[in-house]
Amino acid sequence: MIATTPETSSRLRVLTRLGFWGHAIGGLLLPWAIMLAVEVVVHQVPLARAWRSFTLHLFAPGYNFFLIGLLTAVPFVIFAVLILLHLGAAPAQDPLIPRRRALGLAGAGLGMLVLAGWTHLEVLLHPDAQGALAYLYLPVILLASMPIGYGSGRVIARILLPKASA
Amino acid sequence: MTGNASSPTVLTPREITLHLLGLVLFLGLLGLWYWLSTGARAVPTLIEMLQDDDPSTRIVAAEQLGQVGPAAQAALPQLLAQATGDGSQHANTTAAAALKSIDLKAARQVMTHFMPRLQDHDAQQRRTACAVLGSLGPVAKPAVPTLLPLAHDSDELVRRNALIALASIGIPSPPVMTALLEGLRDSSALVRQTAATQFAFTVPLTQPAIAALTPLLNDPDRSIATLARSALDKARPDDAAQLESLGMMVQHSAARDYALHQLAQFGPAAGDALLPVLPLLQDDRPLVRYLAAEALGAMGPAAKQALPLLQRQRQDPDPVVREAVADAIAGIEAAMVPAESSDKAARP
Repeated sequence: MIATTPETSSRLRVLTRLGFWGHAIGGLLLPWAIMLAVEVVVHQVPLARAWRSFTLHLFAPGYNFFLIGLLTAVPFVIFAVLILLHLGAAPAQDPLIPRRRALGLAGAGLGMLVLAGWTHLEVLLHPDAQGALAYLYLPVILLASMPIGYGSGRVIARILLPKASA
Repeated sequence: MTGNASSPTVLTPREITLHLLGLVLFLGLLGLWYWLSTGARAVPTLIEMLQDDDPSTRIVAAEQLGQVGPAAQAALPQLLAQATGDGSQHANTTAAAALKSIDLKAARQVMTHFMPRLQDHDAQQRRTACAVLGSLGPVAKPAVPTLLPLAHDSDELVRRNALIALASIGIPSPPVMTALLEGLRDSSALVRQTAATQFAFTVPLTQPAIAALTPLLNDPDRSIATLARSALDKARPDDAAQLESLGMMVQHSAARDYALHQLAQFGPAAGDALLPVLPLLQDDRPLVRYLAAEALGAMGPAAKQALPLLQRQRQDPDPVVREAVADAIAGIEAAMVPAESSDKAARP
């Protein structure tokens, strides 16, 4: 076992906290940021007008941007708790364990971000009568992608961070 | 947060607990934000939004007030002003649609305001009047006789708006159906398409409608042919499964208005859905009580069982509901007389 330096331990602590809050808040903000970006970049709406329209439709029936954000945030909040419990409770003495866990969690988080981002972009760029159904299915898909992303991250971790031979 | 460098884990159990508590607090704040921004609590802000210079703000505010329902009574003066005086037709229609969910009397005031405009020389005024009356839905039932001639207006867009309005009002069903059937034979493809759309998505399918829609399957305009196909493929009022499904829908608040409106248009065929409709005569929302009375009235003798309840509802606090209840009682009793006399005649 290799002892963890205080610097490594401190970095892991920051990483855990950032990962936890980043995913809990980022999951909520991601769909809203994409909505605003699509309005500004794709539909060429000035940012101030796009922002006003966005806040106007946060709780409007038929739009409910708030609930869309909340639905997307659910799996990210679950993932944030997983980061806290899985990485935060990792033994600090052996850096290999938290590092491998961090890579597993990074794989899951990245996969979720890409999936959620792509889905929201698709719904906004190619509007369809049934498009809103994607918002209902997305949390389930994100939750299902979590173990796959985690597994992939762990495989990469095994390759990049091999166990030191005795 | 105080970190402990000598902790055996990356974060101490105390830190983990504090982060989890922080998350719970964050979620609680989000819940509080939602609670404060929806329901009756949002009414003062929404009333302010009705005064905004931007029509889209006024439209969204009206839509949200409609969602709040009778608890948004405080917004009635502003909504009435928007429904009748706003320069934007969309702002007029959304305010009118909101009013029907909040106060039936106010909705009828909007109807009274726009009915004379149906005869205006300016086609745009007639178009707007049709659109606003349509947005009032079945509450604008007394406007149907005045709307019917507009289905033959010289202006194509007036005819289109009149057909949409008649289908949205839907009751009484026979004259509305006649106007829509004539619309299917209109010289304008736009009007024919509008009529077909109403059969596909809004009004129930009757035998004469089936007969009129079948030739449209070969209409040279593909969109009309597709709409005719959609209309002919949908469930019919005499379909037991359709009635059963509407009976279930009236028990769910999200689909209740739609299901009751459909049953009111089905007429006597809706008799099998009587039981789920009965308790709705005492619903909190005047619109639901109104639609329930209309549906029961349309059922005719099949709604005989509802008469004692309807009699009690003669004291309904809403005058529009009282009127619908009185009409329903009269309709059921009038329909029962010939039914009873034919029963007696059949007895040996």
